[in-house]
Amino acid sequence: MNRWKKKTSPVIQSNKRAPLAGEGFGGRLGYFVRRALINLRQNIFVNVVTIGTITLALLIVALFLLVFVNLENAVGNWSERVQVTVYFDRELAPQEQAALRAKIISIPGANRVNYVSRDEALRRFKGRLRGQETLLEGVRPEVLPTSFEIALKRSSRDTQEVEAFVSVLKRIPGISEVQYGEEWVKRFNTFLNFMRLLGALLGSFLLIAVVFIVSNTIKLTIYARRDELEVMALVGATRFFIKAPFLIEGIIQGCVGSLIAIGLLLGLYEVFLQNAGSFLTFNPATSGLSFLPLEYVGGIVITGVALGFIGSLTSLKRFVNV
Amino acid sequence: MIQLHNVSLAYQKDATALNNITLRIEKGEFVFLTGPSGAGKTTLLRLLYGALTPTRGQVLIDGQNVSRMTSAQIPQLRRMVGVVFQDFKLLPTRTVFENVAITLEVLGWGRADIGKKVMHILKQMDMESKLNLTPQRLSGGEQQRVALARALVNDPKVLLADEPTGNLDDANKNQILNIFKEANIRGTTVVVATHDRRLIDNSHKRLVTLSKGDIVEQVEKENISSYPV
Repeated sequence: MNRWKKKTSPVIQSNKRAPLAGEGFGGRLGYFVRRALINLRQNIFVNVVTIGTITLALLIVALFLLVFVNLENAVGNWSERVQVTVYFDRELAPQEQAALRAKIISIPGANRVNYVSRDEALRRFKGRLRGQETLLEGVRPEVLPTSFEIALKRSSRDTQEVEAFVSVLKRIPGISEVQYGEEWVKRFNTFLNFMRLLGALLGSFLLIAVVFIVSNTIKLTIYARRDELEVMALVGATRFFIKAPFLIEGIIQGCVGSLIAIGLLLGLYEVFLQNAGSFLTFNPATSGLSFLPLEYVGGIVITGVALGFIGSLTSLKRFVNV
Repeated sequence: MIQLHNVSLAYQKDATALNNITLRIEKGEFVFLTGPSGAGKTTLLRLLYGALTPTRGQVLIDGQNVSRMTSAQIPQLRRMVGVVFQDFKLLPTRTVFENVAITLEVLGWGRADIGKKVMHILKQMDMESKLNLTPQRLSGGEQQRVALARALVNDPKVLLADEPTGNLDDANKNQILNIFKEANIRGTTVVVATHDRRLIDNSHKRLVTLSKGDIVEQVEKENISSYPV
């Protein structure tokens, strides 16, 4: 039985390369993307596993970031209380006031300068002793000091920065008594640094775990398809030709995984977290949790794409041996 | 077309797979490699498509020294060498059409031309009605015909086969043998490694017998029609 018919098609000759589509990088890119999309469909189970792993891993990272960002915000608001006060035992004349204010505000790190007159000081004093105003009967404003309250820029609230600021401040003629609650500032900044260190440490452990899990999942999925790599190599595909569709698949997996993770986080946020943040509010000014800033969202997507791409690249290096 | 000069290959220090082999196969020849398991048939074939490099000696295909090829040159070699195996090595997630098209996609052919050429070869293999099926739904003989279509679709200069009929019944064996013969008539040099005596006896082609890494016997059949003088 001879089923091998002898006729040869007139259009096809030995090894003649078709000069049509698929030429040049653009055409090749089109082919690779098409191939990657077909592969995603044909290996749907393996791809769902990979995308699911990336989604879960990034969701955990995103949740961590959400908590961390909100803690940072809350603590940042707290640090508003880092404030330097300059006391005077007399009322300042308006010109003197203006001149001193100008000098203070020109010191790097100063954010806002507020003059507290004797009357203002007494009003505040009374405010604190609400209900017991009788205690202040007979107290004249003249017994209270006047002061400048200086709020510092957020970047200048570290212990060293505050000390440097105060030493410059003290050099201004006419300023002698300066208070800034050294102990409190020190303790606050120690706490802040500890929190940041803890966050960075936890964050890096989390990231290492995520990279490990995702890259191993990708390695397993590529291992499951090693026949494909072998066959491609057998019919004369170059390394680049074999790898390109897998790398595009990796990018798509990472992108889809990270977008789903962000979608899930947004869902969780809308349903549970937005209004349930009172446990984190140290400051009545902040109510509820805020969502991740846009650059963090972008960072998560980029991390997802990088995970997919680099995970595929390193796994392929192991299995493609043309 | 194929020349081996004093080729030795040792997988490990003491285990020699091929021992000082010298063999010359002319363009358009049809050769059977035979011998017991472990004789070195598969190793010899793997040398010919660049999957192994010899420990000693030279391997030349179409004038090119395979033993000196860089890994970047191997793909070029494989584009003129078609290979089929006992286990077919088809991709289970891809259709018959896609499995055959891979060879031409790698060569950078356009989609329209790939379609025409793949349909043409599938028709020759009597497989055109199954082009949208995946390999799991095909019989062993059908799968081997798809593998052969993949190997032959770009009209390679050399066709290598490693126990191609090992998993097939007699009717399918003959069919596959005929495909080899037809490819050979069209100018492809064919090397088939097998220990299937019946296949060898039915085809009246040159026979090279290996044993423990040595060539122990060479039989030139008298009716080798395509043997160039």
